[in-house]
Amino acid sequence: MRNTITRTLALGAGLLLASASGWAHHGSAISYDTAHLWTTWGTVTEFNYLNPHPSMTWERTTKDGKVEHWVSELLTNPSMLVRAGWTKSRSNEALKPGTRVKLYVGTSRAGGFSGIIMKIENEKGESIVGERTNAVGVDMDGVPGGLQPTGNEELPK
Amino acid sequence: MMNPKIARCSWNAAKALALVAVPAALLLLPARAQNPGRKVDLNSNSDTDKRPFDKHDFSGLWSRNPGQYGQPACPECRDNANAPGYGFFGEVPGRTAAGEKRFQLNKPGRGYELNSKDAKAHAEVDEGYRRAVLPAFGNDPEARCEPLGLARLITFSGGGAAMAMTQVKDHIIQQFEWTWDNRDIWTDGRPIPNIDDYLPRYNGYSTGKWEGDTLVVTSAGFDDRQWLDQFGYPMSEKAVLEERWQHPSPNRLLVDLTLTDPTTYTRPWKATRKVWGLIPKDKMAAGGWSGILEDRCIPSDESLFNKFRDHAAGKK
Repeated sequence: MRNTITRTLALGAGLLLASASGWAHHGSAISYDTAHLWTTWGTVTEFNYLNPHPSMTWERTTKDGKVEHWVSELLTNPSMLVRAGWTKSRSNEALKPGTRVKLYVGTSRAGGFSGIIMKIENEKGESIVGERTNAVGVDMDGVPGGLQPTGNEELPK
Repeated sequence: MMNPKIARCSWNAAKALALVAVPAALLLLPARAQNPGRKVDLNSNSDTDKRPFDKHDFSGLWSRNPGQYGQPACPECRDNANAPGYGFFGEVPGRTAAGEKRFQLNKPGRGYELNSKDAKAHAEVDEGYRRAVLPAFGNDPEARCEPLGLARLITFSGGGAAMAMTQVKDHIIQQFEWTWDNRDIWTDGRPIPNIDDYLPRYNGYSTGKWEGDTLVVTSAGFDDRQWLDQFGYPMSEKAVLEERWQHPSPNRLLVDLTLTDPTTYTRPWKATRKVWGLIPKDKMAAGGWSGILEDRCIPSDESLFNKFRDHAAGKK
C-alpha cells in the first residue's frame, strides 16, 4: 500500500513537472497526450538530430512477440540539447540504429503508433539525449499498443 | 507491468494527490514555461548587483531564462501571460473589420485548444488565446520556416532562445537565436522611411533616440504576412511598433512595446513588459564557443519534422 501511494504521489508530481514544462519551443505538444506518459523498451531504427525538434523511429515487441513500428518526436530541441551537453555527434552515437533504450512516451492524441518522447534512458539507466530527468510514466513494456488515448479527448474540428 | 485499466486508476489517484504536489513542484520548475494566470510585478527588479554600469550600453548576451545559464533567478523575466506560450499579451484591443477578417484566417497551434475544457475555463481572455488547433491543421508561418517578424522575434525570445545586442557608435545590432535573425536600430538621427516609399520587410525599419535613460525605438515598414506573435494576431503594412528599452541595473534589460495599427486594431496595443537577464559570455557557451547559437529553421528539416507532426495528428 505504501509503495502504491509513494508511486502514485511520484507519478502525480512527475506528470505535473512534465506537463508544466511541456509548452515547449515549437508548440507541437498539444498533439500528444502528455498527461499520461508511459514507458517501454524499444530499439532505435532512425534518429534525426534536426530543428525544430529531433525525430526518431523505433520498434518495440509486444508480449506475444509482435513488433510495433513507432514514430516520435523528442520534446527537447537541438539548441537546448547542445547546451545540456548533448551535441549532434554525441546524440547520434547514443541513439544509433540498433540501440536499445527505455522511452518515456506520450501517445499521439489521434492514436496509432506515434508519440512524443519526454525522456530516454540507456541500458545503464542513465538519462540520455535530453535535459529533463523528472518525467515519470506507467510501465507498459510489452503491452500491445502501449498506452493509447481513450478517444474522449476533444480534437479540433 | 500494469494493464491499461489499472493505469487509468493511477492517473485518477495522481490527479487527486497532485493537488498537494502542485505548489512544491512548480517552485522547482525552471523559469521557462509561462504560467497563465500567474501575475508578477513586472516593474520589480530582482537584480541585486550594485556595480556601476552604463545605462546607455545594451551590449551583451541576454536571456529571459537566466537560470538556464546558472544565473540568479529572475521572476520578472517571465511574462504575465494570457495563455500558455509566448506572446505580445497585455490588453488585446478590438479588431477592425479588416483586422477581424485576417485574424480569422490565421490558425495558430498555440494557446488553449479550441473548444477544450481549458479554453472554456478561460473565457475571459481574448479569442486569440483560445483557438489553438493541432499544429498539423494550423497555418503558422513558422511551420514553413517563414520569417517570424520583429515583434514575434522579441516576444518569443522568452522561449529559451537567447538574444545578443551589439552597440556601436551609430546603431545597435540585435540578433535573435531562434531562426538566427537580426535587425538594426539606427541611432544616427535618420527619420523612419517615408511610409509610401519603403519596401516592406519582415523586421521593418528601426530608428532609435534617447529620452533620458530610455531608448525609444520606432519601427515601421512591416511585411504584413507576419503574425504579431505565435497566437496568430495579424498586423498590416501600416503598423508602427514603438519600443521603449531600458537598462535599469547591471543585469537587466527591458522593453515596453506598443503596436499602433489602425488598419487592424481599434486602438494602440500595449504589450506586457518583457525583461531579460544578462548572461556572462562564458556562461552562454556550447563546446567551448560562447554566444548565441545558429538556431536556424531549415525548410528541408522542417519538412521532415512536419511528417512526424502530421502523423501524430492522424493527418493523411
